This record gives sequence, C-alpha cells and structure tokens, in this order.
Amino acid sequence: MRNILTTCVYCGCGCGLYLHEENGRVVGASPSKNHPVSRSNLCVKGWHAHEFIHDSSRLTQPLIRKNGVLTSSGWDEALTYTAKAFRKIIDKTEGTGIGVLASAKCTNEENYLIQKLARAVFKTNNVDHCARL
Amino acid sequence: MTNSINEIEHSQVILVSGSNTVKTHPQVARRIFDAVDSGASLIVIDPRRSPLARHADVHLSIRSGSDIPLLNGMMRVILDENLADDAFVEMRTENYHALRDMLYRLDMDEIVALTGVSLDKISRAAKLYARAQNSVVCYCLGITQHICGTDNVQAIANLAMLTGNVEKENTGVDPLRGQNNVQGACDMGALPGVFPGYQSVADPEVRHRFERAWQVSLPKTAGLTVTEMTHAASDNPIKGMFVMGENPMLSDPALGLVRESFANLEFLAVADIFLSETAAVADVVFPAATFAEKEGTFTNTERRVQLVRQAIAPVGESRSDLDIITALSEKLGYPMPYASAAEVMEEIALLTPIYAGIFYDRLAPWGLQWPCFDREHGGTPFLHKYNFARGKGRFVPTSHKPPSEPTDAEYPFVLITGRSYHQYHTGTMSRKTPVFNRECPEGLLEIHPLDAKTYNIRAREMVRLSSRRGSIKVKVTLTKTVNPGSLFTTFHFAEAAVNELTVAARDPQAKCPELKVCAAKIEKLET
Amino acid sequence: MKTISKVLKKDHLKSLLRKLAKDRQLVAPVRNSYGDTLFTEIEALDGVEIDLDNQAQSSLKSFLFPQQQVLFEYSTDQGSAPVYKAIDSDGPTVFFGLRSCDLAAILYMDVIFLKEVKDPYYRQKRENNILISIGCNEPFSNCFCRQTKSGPFMEYGFDLQLTDLGDRFFVETGRAQGEEIIQQWAHFFSPASKEDEKAQYQMRLEAQGNFKRQVLVDLAIRKLKDDLVPEEVWSKLSSRCQDCGGCAYICPTCTCFTINDRKISTDSGERIRTWDACTFAGFTTMAGGHNPVDMKQNRMKRRFMHKLYYDVKSHNRTSCVGCGRCVDMCFGGVDIIKFINMVGQGEI
Repeated sequence: MRNILTTCVYCGCGCGLYLHEENGRVVGASPSKNHPVSRSNLCVKGWHAHEFIHDSSRLTQPLIRKNGVLTSSGWDEALTYTAKAFRKIIDKTEGTGIGVLASAKCTNEENYLIQKLARAVFKTNNVDHCARL
Repeated sequence: MTNSINEIEHSQVILVSGSNTVKTHPQVARRIFDAVDSGASLIVIDPRRSPLARHADVHLSIRSGSDIPLLNGMMRVILDENLADDAFVEMRTENYHALRDMLYRLDMDEIVALTGVSLDKISRAAKLYARAQNSVVCYCLGITQHICGTDNVQAIANLAMLTGNVEKENTGVDPLRGQNNVQGACDMGALPGVFPGYQSVADPEVRHRFERAWQVSLPKTAGLTVTEMTHAASDNPIKGMFVMGENPMLSDPALGLVRESFANLEFLAVADIFLSETAAVADVVFPAATFAEKEGTFTNTERRVQLVRQAIAPVGESRSDLDIITALSEKLGYPMPYASAAEVMEEIALLTPIYAGIFYDRLAPWGLQWPCFDREHGGTPFLHKYNFARGKGRFVPTSHKPPSEPTDAEYPFVLITGRSYHQYHTGTMSRKTPVFNRECPEGLLEIHPLDAKTYNIRAREMVRLSSRRGSIKVKVTLTKTVNPGSLFTTFHFAEAAVNELTVAARDPQAKCPELKVCAAKIEKLET
Repeated sequence: MKTISKVLKKDHLKSLLRKLAKDRQLVAPVRNSYGDTLFTEIEALDGVEIDLDNQAQSSLKSFLFPQQQVLFEYSTDQGSAPVYKAIDSDGPTVFFGLRSCDLAAILYMDVIFLKEVKDPYYRQKRENNILISIGCNEPFSNCFCRQTKSGPFMEYGFDLQLTDLGDRFFVETGRAQGEEIIQQWAHFFSPASKEDEKAQYQMRLEAQGNFKRQVLVDLAIRKLKDDLVPEEVWSKLSSRCQDCGGCAYICPTCTCFTINDRKISTDSGERIRTWDACTFAGFTTMAGGHNPVDMKQNRMKRRFMHKLYYDVKSHNRTSCVGCGRCVDMCFGGVDIIKFINMVGQGEI
C-alpha cells in the first residue's frame, strides 16, 4: 500500500489527506498530522473522499448523442465532432454564442486552460463557474 | 479569507454570519470551538438555530434577508457607545461621513421590526464585537445569496472598518469559500470580467499582455455570468456550451428556466466523472478523471495553493480535464502543448501577479498563500497589512432591500436552501458513497413544530412544497432549528430538487442568485 | 515461558531488519518528506527514515482490519448460481516499531475477531506476523497508557520488545517467534549484562513518571460503573461533536464496520467491508426509520461506556489503550481525556 499526500476534493478548507493506493485502486483516505488545516483529522467527507472514485457508474468512454441516444465513441471521434460543432457556432456568432462553465471542482491549471480556451479560441468572455451557487 | 484558518483560534471575538460552519466548514468550526475554549466570545447571525448558534454568546436570529438593517443597527450602537476606532477610520478609510450620516438617520425601532431581533441583543452583539482587540467575521452564502448580496458584504466591511478590525493578524473579514477550488477558479479568471488574477478584460494594457502571451486577439467586453447563460431560456444568445465538471441542471435556481435554456442550445458538450443531470442532456460527454487520477493544484479558502497528486491512472478511458481541453483546443487549430500541469502553472505565474511566485517546486510541503509576488516571496497569511488593495478602505452606506419575493397569504413561508453535512452540492460524488447515503438518504424539509401542527403534518410525512415556479414532494422533519414561518431544505437531491422552486432574481452587481429567500407554501398530500 | 534478554547495537538494527524482510513484508514507522510519521510498507530500507522518536499518526489497525476491504467478488450468469471468488491472502509480515499501546490494541482486536467468532479476513492478515515492539521511555504529549494498563512497557504479546538504552537496544523475547529470531540471527545479539538489566529497569521506572497529563481513568470507570455520570455531561459533550467519525477511525481498538455490495458490472459485484462509527446516527437506524439510540448524546454515551466500562466488564480491560491519538484531533474538543477528567474531577 502506498500513501499519496494530496488535497481534499470536498469543501474549501483544503485539508491535506493521504490517499491509500493498493493494486491500482484507492482503498482509503486519512488525514495528515502536520498539515496546517487538517491537523490530524478530517470531517466525515474527507475520511470517505476515496469512495466515489471506483463507483461502477463512472464514465469511462466518450459519448456522442446519435439518434437521440448517448452512444459510446472513441476519443478522436468525440473531439472532432465537438470541435466541428463549436467551430460552426464561433463562425456564425463571432464567439458571442458560446458559453463556457469552468469548475470549482477542477484544478487551477484546468480552470486556467478553459478560460484560455474560451477567450483565445472561442473568442468569448462568456466563462463563469458556480462560485455564486 | 483575509486571514488564515488557524488565525481564527487566536481571535477574541468571532462573528459568524450566514454560515452553517459546523456542517459546511468543519475545520473552521474546529478553530472557532478552540477559540471559545480559550475564552473567545461567539456571535452568530443566522435565521436558523444552527449547531454553532447553540454555542453562541449572542445568537441573532434574524429574518432571512435583513442583514443590512441588523449590521447598520450594530454600527449605530457602536457610534452611540463611542466604540468606533477613530484613528483607524482617519488613517485607513474614506467616505466615513456618508456612513455616519446614514447611521444617525436610522430608526432603531424600524430595525427591530425588520430584523425581528431585540434592541438588547443587537446592542450586546455590537459591544462585544467592537470592544475586542482582535476579531474576525466569517461569512458565507447566507450573506451573498440575496439580491442585496454585494451590499450585505459592504455592510460587513463597514462594520469591520468602523471598529478597525482588519489589517492585523487574527483580525479580518473572512468569506468562507464553499468548494474545494472555488477560490482557485476565481483566481484563474474563470469569470466573465477578468483574466487570471482579477485583471480586467476591459483594461487594454492587461489584454495586450495576454494577447502577446497567447498570440491571439482577445474579446474586449465582459461576458455573461452563469445564470445569465442558464436563465435566458428561449431568448438565449448562447447557442453552444462547454460545461466542465458542473451541474447547472440541479445547482442553479429556477430550474424550469435552466431546462428551457439547455433545450434551446444547438450544441452542448460536458466533461464530468459521472453522468450528471446536465451530462444526460448533452450532445457529447467526455469522461473526466477524478482528483486522485491527475496532477494539479487547488486553492483553499485561505488562498493556500496546494498540490493535488496523482494516486492512480485515470479509470477506464477517462482523461483529466487538462488533457480534454488541450486536445479539443488542438482540434480547433490552437495547440496547447503542455507537458505537465507544472508547465501550465509556469504560464500562470508569468501572467498573474498574485501567483507570480507560485511554482511546483515551492509547493511542498504545505503550499503557498497568495499574493506571492516572486520566487523569494513566502506568501501572505493575512491580507491588507498596511493598506487595502485599493489604497484606503471606502465606506459605502447601504440600506435595506426587501427580498425579491415577499411572502403573502398564498405563499406564507420563507424558504431557505442550503447544504447538509453528509452530502455535497448536487451529490455527484457524495451520493456514490454508501455511508453518506445511509446518514443522509434524502432531502428533508425542516419545519417548526408549531407550523406542522397548524397544517396537521407529522414527522416524516411527505408534503407538497410549492412556490410560484414549481412544486416538489418532500419529506418533513420537525425541528426548532427553523423559526415559525420559515422552511429549510437542501438542494443535493434531484428527486426533490428544491431549485425548481427558487427565484431567478439575483444581485445586480455580483449576479449571485437569491437562493436564501423565496415565498413558498406547503400542502398535505392526500393518502 | 522464560524470557531471554539480549542486547542489540543500534548500528545493527537496519541490518537485522533487512534480514527479516527477506522473506516477509516489513512495516515500520517512517517519517516522510512532509514530516508525517506513518506505518509504511517498506520496499527498500535504504533511503527510508525509520522514526522511533515520534508517535506514528495512526496505529497498525489498518493493516489488520483495513479501512476498506474486499471480502469477495461474485458473478452470476442468468439462471445459474452465483460464483464467488475469494480474495488472495497476504504473505507473512514483520511489524517493527509498534508501541505498547499499539500492541495492546492488537491483543484486544484478537479478542474481538478471533475469540468466539473467528473472522477469516482478520485471521488471514494476523497469521504469520512478527511483532517487534518498542517501549516508551518518554511518553508522547497525550499519552495515558499507564492508566489504561497498556504501557509504557508490555509484559507479553510481543515477539520481541526493545528498550532504548542509548547506543543499544535491550531486547526481550515474548512469543516463540522472537526466540527463533534470536537463534537464527544469533550473531546480531550479545548477552545482556547485569548493567544492561539494571539500566532497562531504571528506564521503565522513569518512564512511568514521565507522563505529561494526569488522566483519572480508574475514577471515571468507577463513576460509570456506579452510574454517577450526570446526563448533562453527555449532552454537553455531544453538543460539540461534529460527527466526523475521526475518533473511531483513528482508534486502534474501534472495530465497528459496515458491509456494502458494490456493482462491478450488470452481472458481477464485490462485497466490501468498511470502517464505521457507532456515533453515526445511521449505525443503529433500522429499516423503518426508527433509531433505538436516537439522540447524539446517547450515542456518545455508548461509545465512552464501551471503551471504559462494558469492556472492563466483559474482558477485564478497557478498550481504550491510552494512545492519545483521538485527543487533539477532535473537532469539538470533546475527546476521551476531556470526558474522563470531567467525570473524574467532578467538573460538572
């Protein structure tokens, strides 16, 4: 079993927690003693922060809606399809017709890149996330 | 937060407003209890008798939406008792006269009537807060999710400045950020009006810097906020959306409008770890990796930028959002060739002054708190030392704005929404965790026993809860946590989605929806 | 069995561990680069800092009774009976550097999991392991094992028990495997002299006086037994409890668990055992919604009664081993020391 120190994914307190990895699965979570926020303990969500990771309903393949039904597809097909659809709207609306929702659950780097994508590629400042909710 | 979480335990007085801290920010509540055990006083402003309110020296159980009159009333007491910090006001603030004039015109009887709190309690709270040598205000969405959210925050700032309770260690105004990286998402410019580091998109100099770095021309005017995008319904100027790890089909207010807006889209792409309510209506769904399957950073509520480390490979064919965005960008003819998340942070540091000293090799063991201006800078545990960001702190007098939807004979209850301890937001993660589903399997409507008696409703009975926008069936729990005339429930559960009922009205500046007040009624279900 | 006393030079500790780890998994307290000390499975001894100066932040519980454990997998074709697949056994393990409290906790778990109903999953992990404990010359800040009679040194239960004598360890054998180690690797050890024995006894004596906190466990047990704890104590404590479950999860002797089936595919799944806490409302809630232990204060009462009274009644020992791990971690500041002293000193 390996212990990997990381940051909790639930609330804004930002506890330092160890994920316990065994045979490619995350099998536990526990607090860091010296971390300035967690200081030896986690709330119940932190202690169970690993459990959703291996839920059987995880999405594991890209899906494209075909004849009204979400259907498994390959990555390249899904990305190409998406790029085409966005390109059409960008060209038609000069970007104002596209909206992007970033995420308070994702990393800084991902949020940085998605607002870059919105502004530099979609040509729109219509980018926001659920900070207000 | 202007302070660090650990500073709270050294404060003499802690004022908590609109935050169910024990349930939603347990580590902050832990510091509050530690402070109380070392002799600190606790003031709680909350329409509900939250777990923290039960331990308060003064609990101001206000009517939902009357924060401004309450805070103004407290400031008036502070003036009357001569407890203002005159030197601080003189040295560090401006526009004090406007505030003072407004406060002297206040009718305290009217304040008592608006808030439902006695003058004695207001006075005790004001004196406790003002007399402390250091004190913190912790507030959360109970302050901001009102049509007057910005003014509520301003009123708190006025109170803190009037008493000099800012700009020192263990002293300040601390908004508690809800999600693990809501602070970071804001810092990174995932907002319609600003680039990373809160640099305005309308500022030509700033825009030029980003245009040079990104080698493209960039749009000049601020974009639309979430609810402007999700509430436009059939008038929606938005034709295509890309949603990364959010679930507006459950989290946003007035869900009827949200559904209509999404139905009118020509194209919707969603990246998520589960098939959320929003992903279910998408045209393309990308399977995303969880926090355990990628590298990156989160920024917590005390502005601490911390590493997220990979424990396992992405499950199935899922990919990190970082990989999804860069792959999509490449397909759109704008390659983003980053070898790692660390390389993205290097670009962030280059373009974002408050993150300029944030590099991965500096983040072990416990991260850095921004602003962090260069490689030598050790980060900033508390803000506004020596000066406010804008120079002097400006007093802006604020006055009461009644909630957008008053109660009436048909809809006599004030409905408040919030979170529970065992579930999280729209439950995409927490509802996949067996113990949480056992502890909190369904949404419960909190109702005062007196109201329940009036409607002949017993505990655990299903009732119909309605507003002018919709209705849901929900199970009732009787509790004195809520006052008579008030109802409370959580928004985690799609099968009793309270956001079918909430109002679309929002604060004109912050665009934060009024999720803390709407008029509602309950009906007994025929069996 | 007569114990054999030997001396092991500290210089040779790593060499001995390397020998022991050749055909066993080695688990020892390791201080990582963040300054946290965790019991860790050691792959390569070089470059690892085995930390005998700080208390490991959790006990060995998770190695014997994991936070989450797959008990078996099952699959079924339509119409046919389900097929079960047992989970592989662990190999032999040597646990090094556990403290007396951790050892006492394992002995307690043995009673729970092996005495009457023999839990195969626990037994499988407990079999074939070697326990090399170290006594505490200097107890840690929240320790009170002397009051719970589970330290600072143990008389039995270990294979080997070490006492730090500066440049060398005094080594006592307990179970037969300890003697085997001493015989097999005889050249690592030298016989203990009279001076060594005297020094070891002096260490033990001094250790008993080195506790930093006075914790009146006996008095609390007596008051619980005589039902002299006012309800106010329970309501006061429980009003601060934030339901994190941390005290139960970190506790080396808390053995509550729950069992869930997790779907793998439409026709297969796995049965998983995970830690649970008796302070959670759902722990006792019945299918119809009724909870016999409905109020938080009653759940807290049950927890402390279990730790300090019920186990004394049924096993003649507290199931609190005085390790102090649950103390500073409590979100509400209502840990077991707070409780014991509230009751013991008649604070309420």
